Amino acid sequence: MSMRSDAKAEVPGYASGRRITLPARIRSFPILRITALWEAFLVAAASLRQNKLRTALTLVGIIVGVTAVIAVVTIIKGLDQTVAQTFSSQGSTVFTISKRPRVITSREDFIKYNKRKDITEEDAAAIFHLCTTCWRTGIVANDGVTVKHGNQKADNVNVRAIAPTSMFDIDGVTVDVGRLWSESEGASAHDVTVVGPDVVTNLFPNQAPDRALGQEIWAGGRPYQIIGILQPLGKIFGVSRDNRIYIPFATYKKNFGLNISRGAFSASGVLVVFIQTQTAEQLEAAEDQVRAIMRNRRGKIFSEQDDGFALETEDVFLNLYSRATSNIYLVTIGVAAISLVVGGIVVMNIMLVSVTERTKEIGIRKAVGARQKDIRTQFLIEAMMVTAIGGVVGVLTGFGVAWLIALLIGFPLLFSVWSAVLGVSMSSIVGVVSGLWPAWRAARLDPIEALRAE
Amino acid sequence: MADATVATSPTSSSVIVQPRLPSNDGKAALLIAMRNIWKTYDMGAEKVHALHGVSFDVRRGEYLAITGPSGSGKSTLMNLIGCLDTPSQGQYWLNGKNVSEMDDDELARIRNQEVGFVFQTFNLLARATALHNVELPLIYGGIPGSKRHEMAKQALAAVDLTDRMTHRPNELSGGQRQRVAIARALVNHPSILLADEPTGALDTHTSYDIMNLFEKLYEDGNTIILVTHERDIAARARRVISIRDGLIENDETIR
Repeated sequence: MSMRSDAKAEVPGYASGRRITLPARIRSFPILRITALWEAFLVAAASLRQNKLRTALTLVGIIVGVTAVIAVVTIIKGLDQTVAQTFSSQGSTVFTISKRPRVITSREDFIKYNKRKDITEEDAAAIFHLCTTCWRTGIVANDGVTVKHGNQKADNVNVRAIAPTSMFDIDGVTVDVGRLWSESEGASAHDVTVVGPDVVTNLFPNQAPDRALGQEIWAGGRPYQIIGILQPLGKIFGVSRDNRIYIPFATYKKNFGLNISRGAFSASGVLVVFIQTQTAEQLEAAEDQVRAIMRNRRGKIFSEQDDGFALETEDVFLNLYSRATSNIYLVTIGVAAISLVVGGIVVMNIMLVSVTERTKEIGIRKAVGARQKDIRTQFLIEAMMVTAIGGVVGVLTGFGVAWLIALLIGFPLLFSVWSAVLGVSMSSIVGVVSGLWPAWRAARLDPIEALRAE
Repeated sequence: MADATVATSPTSSSVIVQPRLPSNDGKAALLIAMRNIWKTYDMGAEKVHALHGVSFDVRRGEYLAITGPSGSGKSTLMNLIGCLDTPSQGQYWLNGKNVSEMDDDELARIRNQEVGFVFQTFNLLARATALHNVELPLIYGGIPGSKRHEMAKQALAAVDLTDRMTHRPNELSGGQRQRVAIARALVNHPSILLADEPTGALDTHTSYDIMNLFEKLYEDGNTIILVTHERDIAARARRVISIRDGLIENDETIR
C-alpha cells in the first residue's frame, strides 16, 4: 500500500495543489491561471482558423465601423493641419471689408447684399487715412481668366489685382525669382505681372522657371510681362493656391474695368479692402474703428442693424470649417456606432452558434476540470479575438482609404497611433460585450448534459 | 409541494458525521464514503427518485464494478461518484472531502484532481492531438508547459502510445482512442479511475486489450470503478455492486 501513496506523492503539481493550499481568492487570481488562459487563446485561434469564411463574414460590420472612424479621423486630422498652416500664414491679424460676405446662406440675404453699394477705392483710402490701429491696408479685385503664352493655355487662372504692393505681404506671398513691381510702376498701370508657380508650369512646360521671366503672357486680350515668380503656397482642400497671377490694381482698372456685372453670382472686378494689424491683440480695436469709418461713409445711424458692408476675418472660414468637420465627426460616430452595434450582434449570434456546436467539447473540458471561469474566458477571448482582428483590419483599411483620399485631394497624411489603438480597443470592447452572454451560457452548461450532446 | 419534498427526505444532513478517515482497522484508506445518497429529479409535476438512499465505501486500491440494467440508477450513481453532479440528499466523501456540499467550481477542481474519467465514446477533443488531449486536465490544473508535456508523455507511454502522440483521434483506432482517454484519465494521478462502459464501443478483441490494461493499472495500485451492464466485463473486477431501482441489490467481493 505504501507503494501506492508514493505514486501520488511523486507528482509535485498534484501534491502542492492539495497540501499547500493557497487561499481560494489567490488561487483563482487570473495571472496564476495563465496556463488555462493560454489554452483559451490557442483554442480560440484554432476555432477561428477552422471557420475562416464565417469569421470573415462576421467581421464585416466591425470592419466597416472601424474603417469609417479611422478614415474620417485621419482625413480630418490632415485637413486640420492644412487649415492651420494656411491660416496661420495669413494670421489672425487680417480682416476684410467687402460688399457681400463670402458665405451666403439664403436667397433673401443674397438679394439684400446685392442691393448694397459697391466698395470703392475711396472707401479704402478713407480707412487707410482714418484708421489709426490699422497697419497695412490694401485693395484687391479678383477675376478669373484664361492665360496664354504662344500656343500654351491655362484656364481659370485667378487674377489678383492689388494695390499697394504691401498687399503681397498681407497675402503672405513672397517672390521666388524676379521681382515685384515698384509702386510707381503699379500706379502708372504698367502691364506687368507676378505669377504663381502653377502658371509657369502650365505655360512654360519643361523649362527652367527663370526662363519665364521677361516673357509675355496674354490675359483678357492683353499682354503682360512676367517680372516675378512666387514661391509655391500649396493646395488647400485640393485646390491649388499657386494658379494665380498678380497684376497692379491700376492696370486691372485700365484693362478690365471695375465692378462690371457678369451675372449676379460673379465676383469679377468686385473690390475688397484688406486690413492688417501689427498684432492679433489690435485686431478687435481695428475692426471697431474700420466699422465706424465705414458705417459713417454708408450713412448708417447707430440704431440701424445692417452695416451695408461685410467685415470678415479668416475666423469666418475657420468657424465654417470646424462646424463642417464636427458635423462629419458626428455622422461618422453615428455610422460607426450603428455598424459596431450590428457587428456586435452578429458576433454574439456566431458565438451562440459556436457554443452550441461545441457543447460536447465544453462537456469534455468540464469533466476534466475546467471551471466555469475557464470556459467563460475561452469564449470571451474568442469573441474578443474575432473583433480585435476586425479592428486591426478596420484600422488598416481606414488608413488605406484616408491615404487614397489624401492622394486625390492633396493634404498631409497623419497616421495617428492613438486612433489605431482606439479602433482596436473599441472593437475589442464590442467583442467582450457581445461575447458575454454566449460565454455565460457556455460556462453554465451542465457537464452531464453537455457530454451527452453530439 | 415543497413541504411534501421535505417530508419524504430521508435524513437531515446535520446528523451525518464524517466517516472515520483514515481507517485504522488494518485495511487500506477509505477513498469513497457514500452515506444514504438520494438523487431526485424534478420532472415538472412528479418527482423521480433515481437513487433511494445508497450507502457504500470504497478503499484505496479496489477494483469495483457497478452493474445494473438501464434505468437502474447506475448512470446517476456514476455521475455522483465522478463529481459531475451532487446528491439531493445524503453525504459523499471523496478522499476526505465532503463533495456533496460543493459548488460547481469546487466540483470542477475535484474532478481535475481526484477523478479520471474514461467514457464509452472516448470523448476526446477531435481537433487536438493525442498529447494535447492527455494534457487537458493538467492545463486546467495549472501545470506549466514543460512539466505538463513530460507528464502527458509518461501517461501515453504507460498505455503504449508513445508513437501516436501527434495523431488526432480520427487518425487512431477505437482501441487507441480509448487508450488515449485512459492516459488522460491517469495523467493527473487521480484517486479514482472511473470508467463508464469503457468497452461499449469496441470489438471483442479490443475490449479484452482494454480490460487487460485496466487489470495492469489495478495491479499498479490504481483504484478503479467500472460502470457496465455487461456481466463478463464486470466479472473482471474484484468487487461487484449491483444496482436495481435506485438501490444496492447486491455488493459482493468476487475474487
